Amino acid sequence: MSNINRRTLVKGSLAAALAGTALSRAAFADADPILLGVSGPLTGPNAQYGTQWKQGFDLALDEIQAAGGINGRKLAYTFEDSQSDPRQSVAIAQKFVSDPRIVLELGDFSSTASMAASPIYQRGGLVQFGFTNSHPDFTKGGDFMWSTSVSQADEQPLLARYAVKSLGLKKLAVLHLNTDWGRTSRDYFNNAAKEYGAEIVVTEGYIPEERDFRSTLVRVRDANPDGLVLISYYSDGALIARQARQVGLKQVICAASSVYSPKFLELGGDAVEDVHVGTRYFPEDPRPEVQKFIAGFKKKYNGLEPDAFNAYAYDAMNMAAAVVRIGGADRKAIRDAFAKVKDVPSVIFGTATFDVATRRVKGAMNAELVVRKGQFALWDGKPT
Amino acid sequence: MSSWLDYTINGLIVGNVYALVAVGLALIFGVSRLINFAQGSIYLVGAYIGWVAVVQLHTPLPLTIIFVAVVAALVGLIIERFGLRPLQNSVRIAPLLATIGISFVLDQLVMLTFSPNPRALPSQLPDVRFQVGGGTIGPLDLLIAGVGISSALMLFVFLRYTKLGWAVRAASQDRDAAMQMGVDVNRVNQTVFGIAAALGGVSGLLVGMYYNQIDTAMSLQATLKGVVAEVVGGAGNVPGAVVGSLLLGLVESYGVAVFGTSYRNLFAFLLLVVVLVLRPNGLFASARQAPPEPLTGTFIAPSRPVRIPRWALLVVAAVFAILPLLPVSFYMLQTLINAWLLGMLALSLTLVAGTIGQVSLGHAALLAIGAYTSALLSLTLAVPVGLAIIAGGLMSAALGTILISPSFRLRGHYVSIATLAIGEIVSLVILNWESVTRGPIGISGIPPLSLFGYELTSPTSIYWFSFAVMVVLALLQARLLGSHLGRSFRAIRDDDVAARAYGLSLNRYKSLAFIFGGFAAGVSGGIAAHLYSYINHETFNTQQSILALTVVILGGLGNVVGAIVGAVALVGLPEVFRIAAEYRILIYGIVLLLLVRFRPQGLLGTM
Repeated sequence: MSNINRRTLVKGSLAAALAGTALSRAAFADADPILLGVSGPLTGPNAQYGTQWKQGFDLALDEIQAAGGINGRKLAYTFEDSQSDPRQSVAIAQKFVSDPRIVLELGDFSSTASMAASPIYQRGGLVQFGFTNSHPDFTKGGDFMWSTSVSQADEQPLLARYAVKSLGLKKLAVLHLNTDWGRTSRDYFNNAAKEYGAEIVVTEGYIPEERDFRSTLVRVRDANPDGLVLISYYSDGALIARQARQVGLKQVICAASSVYSPKFLELGGDAVEDVHVGTRYFPEDPRPEVQKFIAGFKKKYNGLEPDAFNAYAYDAMNMAAAVVRIGGADRKAIRDAFAKVKDVPSVIFGTATFDVATRRVKGAMNAELVVRKGQFALWDGKPT
Repeated sequence: MSSWLDYTINGLIVGNVYALVAVGLALIFGVSRLINFAQGSIYLVGAYIGWVAVVQLHTPLPLTIIFVAVVAALVGLIIERFGLRPLQNSVRIAPLLATIGISFVLDQLVMLTFSPNPRALPSQLPDVRFQVGGGTIGPLDLLIAGVGISSALMLFVFLRYTKLGWAVRAASQDRDAAMQMGVDVNRVNQTVFGIAAALGGVSGLLVGMYYNQIDTAMSLQATLKGVVAEVVGGAGNVPGAVVGSLLLGLVESYGVAVFGTSYRNLFAFLLLVVVLVLRPNGLFASARQAPPEPLTGTFIAPSRPVRIPRWALLVVAAVFAILPLLPVSFYMLQTLINAWLLGMLALSLTLVAGTIGQVSLGHAALLAIGAYTSALLSLTLAVPVGLAIIAGGLMSAALGTILISPSFRLRGHYVSIATLAIGEIVSLVILNWESVTRGPIGISGIPPLSLFGYELTSPTSIYWFSFAVMVVLALLQARLLGSHLGRSFRAIRDDDVAARAYGLSLNRYKSLAFIFGGFAAGVSGGIAAHLYSYINHETFNTQQSILALTVVILGGLGNVVGAIVGAVALVGLPEVFRIAAEYRILIYGIVLLLLVRFRPQGLLGTM
């Protein structure tokens, strides 16, 4: 105990020395923006996703500022590069937790980095808002863990319905990323597909660095499925589609929404023609939230088409703004505000409301798309 | 049956892809006895130069290839002139580390120029496919095979029948003798680097076209697979590198055929370990080739270690011990906790790499074993956390030593490559052994650190706990180094032939070193597991192994205080540069290069 007292003493005297500056700063406190902390990858193997986050965040912030900010104050974020490495995300967590200006944290990208930092956020009483953390245990880290990450329990049955019911595929080959996301998704998909009456004839997991799928596809061919299901990101999804066509597989391909990106079309070329994608949103969706997002994004980034990760980040920032609007600049009030926000307009969810029991958002939108003439289009119901 | 034909063809095709990288690596190793970890980065540069040529300049294919080769060769010449030539009279480890630094710098430069988003690199060859077996082959497959095989042949002819080629071989056999015979060794080195870089660049281009995509993260995988292929074939042997690559491709393909996709890389690294155990110099090491040098002087810089007075150490230790009482932020404490955990790993590595001379590139595997053991014991069997961490340390000591023991008869670079493979194998076993390790889902809900029933959850208490553990391990190790046993370790490092002649059992002493080192690393991994509460197979990866090696070389090999100083510096540097965001890894790489250039024996010198 004496230690703690001494420490407070030392801290107290230092604080007194700084009191002058602190006072003058406090007078201007309302002019300072409300600050969010972002922990995510800007360098390292996942750097691309951090860059995409920034694009989504910045667009959302432009709109929030234009609409008068948060009760007259601006909203801003500070982005700390974690490389999605747990060692760095825990240090960033301590930094954020002990920085009183930060009222809410967004990220990290991977579950490894996020969940390593969760105990620190939980103990520090700062909400960790993991909007790409689909690991089933992420929100079990404590009541300061909230997520708008697409719940795979919601999404995968919809993809299974698309493949089995709409497209009539009876024997499926499932290729999935062998990560926490891919594994969880695969289990939800396989269970749902079996309930719809399909048979899973082969399941293959691959590591994210994999580039060569020819031998995997021979295994797939030998299992003789009606269709291939890709639980992939856009870069590996495009690779698999290309190599499947190259080795002569002509089966129907269905892919999870995570391939939804203009990059999927660019990287896949002709090989992704007629690929079916169950997705959260698509540009022709007439809902005003979606049209506003796409128009704003293209305007801000010289005609660049947004993709799923841009949309997740955009939605997450809007959700954060909605929560801060209720909770103010108080961390605990912000935590409680997550339970109170209702029907926040959102690209991915239509309107988003949290399920207080799971601390996740329920009921994602779903559209059945197909790639036609190099573009994503709403599926017209015709078999390919 | 036809499927086996397909698997064979696929294996040969991907083997060709590996060969493109492996040939360049073999050429450089042949001349400089250097594993060029920057080769993958040159491959990356080549891919992006190719993208500029194809997509923006619309050059036809032959011109694209020439353009990429020339630019990549220039990059190679710059690396040789400014990155490696200043180090040629330095210890062997210095250029090795420099290539790692160069790869950081190149990767980051490409990423900053082109953004990390993957890009499509369209193939400039017609998209026709020929039916072979149940599968198909296209013109690009044939071009890649052609480039791989013809470059190996041309290099073979060059080395065997041209004057410059003789000079290259002379320089590789005995640098000093070659110089005395009038060979311009620098020109030889330049030539080789230029050729290897041109090959590396072209391979990036072709592989990018083959997959129709390039991204800035592709360099490390290329280096890893290239190194495996090269070493399987026999390091420095150019035709061997081609055969090694094809073999690697086949083994992977058959591995997928029999066991499934998720086992693919497991077979690649198992092949490497098996080859190294049966033929320690690779498959095609010729009898006439000079035997690989013993570690005498290979990695160890001659230096007088900086002697730090005992009182100074005590003062510094005391300052760190009372640090949490001072007004410091939790962020700083957390950063230092990371440094203490890395310090324990570095103590382990500095003992095996520095004191007994077994340079390990797979040390993260020891962390993983300790972490999983401790996490699973405390979670499923409710073993108290303190005991579980000790059990983790013991498990790392036992399992780590058993796994690494096949590498005991290897020498020089082969030890580091074998340990690299063992590190990858452990990670892949964790990924695939789902009934025990829970596979990719990882282990969550690991109980927090606790001691005698008291939970340590505040950064202050975790700081003191990890600092105390590290200090105890460091004191034990310092005591060990001063003892008779420590002297025997160093004798084996300095001259294993003499040590054996003197009656020291090499295997037994190496085992002892790994047992002690494995314990320290396992404890570090165990503490990390309880600190994070969630671990999976990616928590302890190859980058962590490379970081640990950088730490011990920075501090001075075998130097206990140096390992800790290195850990604080290398955990601290990226944090200090955190404000530089995207540029920080670039800065980190440059700082690493400067350190290697001006202080190759490490900050505190080798013990």
